[in-house]
Amino acid sequence: MSGKAVTYEELTPGYEFPPVSYELNSSFVSKYQKAVDSVGDAFVPPLAITACAIAAMTGSFSMPAGTIAIHASQELEFFKLVPIGTTIECHTRVAQRIARGKMSMLILEQEIFNNNKEKVQSGRATIASPT
Amino acid sequence: MLEDIQEGKIFESVVRHITRDKINLYAEASGDFNPIHIDEDFAAKTPLGGTIAHGMLNLAYVSEMMTLAFGQNWLSGGKLRAKFKEPARPGDTLTISGRINCIDKKDDVSYANCDFECRNQKGEIIVAGDTIVKISHDRK
Repeated sequence: MSGKAVTYEELTPGYEFPPVSYELNSSFVSKYQKAVDSVGDAFVPPLAITACAIAAMTGSFSMPAGTIAIHASQELEFFKLVPIGTTIECHTRVAQRIARGKMSMLILEQEIFNNNKEKVQSGRATIASPT
Repeated sequence: MLEDIQEGKIFESVVRHITRDKINLYAEASGDFNPIHIDEDFAAKTPLGGTIAHGMLNLAYVSEMMTLAFGQNWLSGGKLRAKFKEPARPGDTLTISGRINCIDKKDDVSYANCDFECRNQKGEIIVAGDTIVKISHDRK
């Protein structure tokens, strides 16, 4: 992941983040399972995959100094089992941006693909920020 | 595992204690270093008044409950909608519970429609939502 490429203000509907790839190796999965108190098997926990996608997205834009971004809601759909060792590619685009009172809501859509370009997961995240 | 899937079934609860260490571990594992989760000085100056757990950490516990109930059917055929209602903070104990509301059948495939919630030790709802899990192709 390169540095903060865009500012929050530049995230307008239709903006597409550069795709990000992750190798979901056993070291990553065991670190994740330790963090969430979970026991593992041969497959990557779907929320570990989502976590990568969310981190890639939030890590690629900068918030105005002193402001916060809070995860307000999340939708997810899981399509395929993801074996440990798979490399995934995350695609994220800004679907909507809504001003509601003193809150700004950013709605992001994500699609995640495996090495064979098969969709393994899709999601929709709402990120709220006080304005 | 799926033999006892029926309407009204209550899932085995998952109980987890949130600590600052766990939040930091999650930040390292996920790569999400948003200061609202890990920087006590920064978070203290925000309206939240202190650090909070990642919403996705709380949601991981929901997914664990669903995995215990449905196994690979959840991992490769699950659908979830969640609203983060209140922040979980270091020191909180979270209890995740859920049940099957109804089982629908569409084109010979059965789907379990479930509700879940995650509450803290004060009974406040931290996360709430619903899930749909594809159960089988031949459930009669």
